[in-house]
Amino acid sequence: MAGSALKRLMAEYKQLTLNPPEGIIAGPVDEENFFEWEALITGPDETYFEGGVFPASLTFPPDYPLSPPKMKFTCDIFHPNIYNDGKVCISILHAPGDDPMGYESSAERWSPVQSVEKILLSVVSMLAEPNDESAANVDAAKTWRDNRPKFAEIAERTVKQSLGLL
Amino acid sequence: MAEEKENFAYDPEVNYDEATLAQQKKIEQQIVTEQSLISERVDFSELEDEYAKDEVFQLKIKDLKSKYACMRKIRGDGNCFYRAFGFAYMEKLLSDPTEFKRFQAVARQSKDDLVALGFQQFTIEDFHDTFMEVIDKVEQNCSLEDLLQVFNDQVYSDYLVVYLRLLVSGYLQKEKDFFINFMEGGQSVKEFCNHEVEPMSKESDHIHIIALTSAIDVPVRIEYMDRGGDNVNAHDFPEGSSPKVTLIYRPGHYDILYTL
Repeated sequence: MAGSALKRLMAEYKQLTLNPPEGIIAGPVDEENFFEWEALITGPDETYFEGGVFPASLTFPPDYPLSPPKMKFTCDIFHPNIYNDGKVCISILHAPGDDPMGYESSAERWSPVQSVEKILLSVVSMLAEPNDESAANVDAAKTWRDNRPKFAEIAERTVKQSLGLL
Repeated sequence: MAEEKENFAYDPEVNYDEATLAQQKKIEQQIVTEQSLISERVDFSELEDEYAKDEVFQLKIKDLKSKYACMRKIRGDGNCFYRAFGFAYMEKLLSDPTEFKRFQAVARQSKDDLVALGFQQFTIEDFHDTFMEVIDKVEQNCSLEDLLQVFNDQVYSDYLVVYLRLLVSGYLQKEKDFFINFMEGGQSVKEFCNHEVEPMSKESDHIHIIALTSAIDVPVRIEYMDRGGDNVNAHDFPEGSSPKVTLIYRPGHYDILYTL
């Protein structure tokens, strides 16, 4: 049973390579270690993050998929559900018992039948629709709620930065 | 403590090192027993001690002792219903070859049924493989100790729990037109499965029990030890069936019962 996490991660990598979801690339940093992945996520069209390409890391626990991975953007990104250090805070990344309050009741939770693909798709939706009810970055949540033009301006700068244009 | 120290008299006949070791071993054993996912069969004395000051529960334990020989304690980790049910049923299968044949076919088929419901194959197959591995062990007539060992191996045991959770989720989704009537706050059946069934450590309620017993057609009796009356109250799922497995429920927790 010791190899079950590895087996599952290899299956997920294969699945993502054969059937990549639009705007997402993900895989192990080094094929010698399937527990550390990197991902590139494209900002969804018609959102403040449109056109940006944002790098992130995924770190899987030894008992994956019983427990979820941790995900962290490795670039600067100003967003209500992303901590200052880049850590992503959405419900699908939480095991039951450590769900912070404030998730919408319909939001997806982690379970062993979720997948890297489902996480990344949830992150894309999160970029499109921030949830200011459960803020990881209070400043970003406030700006999103009270000063949308300022939020748009910061997001645009983030997009340009991600493309190496700044 | 201070008084004990003052009265302490060295006894040259006693080997204190050995006594210390024995005591240490006893504590270690106690921790292992207390923390095992599924215990050996035990009598009801632990339960009596636990509720020593509770007159109502003492009466209920007396009633329990008139009907049941012993119990197995299950670790309280939110998965106890699945672990208790899974182990008690597999234990039953070791001595029931006809039921075994029926269940083996149901279990084999169940993966395709889940895929047909929309579960992605690669997310469920490791759990199904592990589940079938244990069923193969039962077919090869493994010993009860082997079965207990499998269920006490954390990862192995958790994989079995996951698969039982998936069977519950699959049945609820297949019969969603019926179960939608029991959803609260406008939740869909799929959302309920995603929040309350599929994640590990989420506790089970009647709806989970009904779904699991129906999904694999294995009736269960649950003896409820709660506040009402002086006796334990038996409830069979489904009503009027002949249960293959008997569990005891105390608020928030399930253990396995064995009849006299």
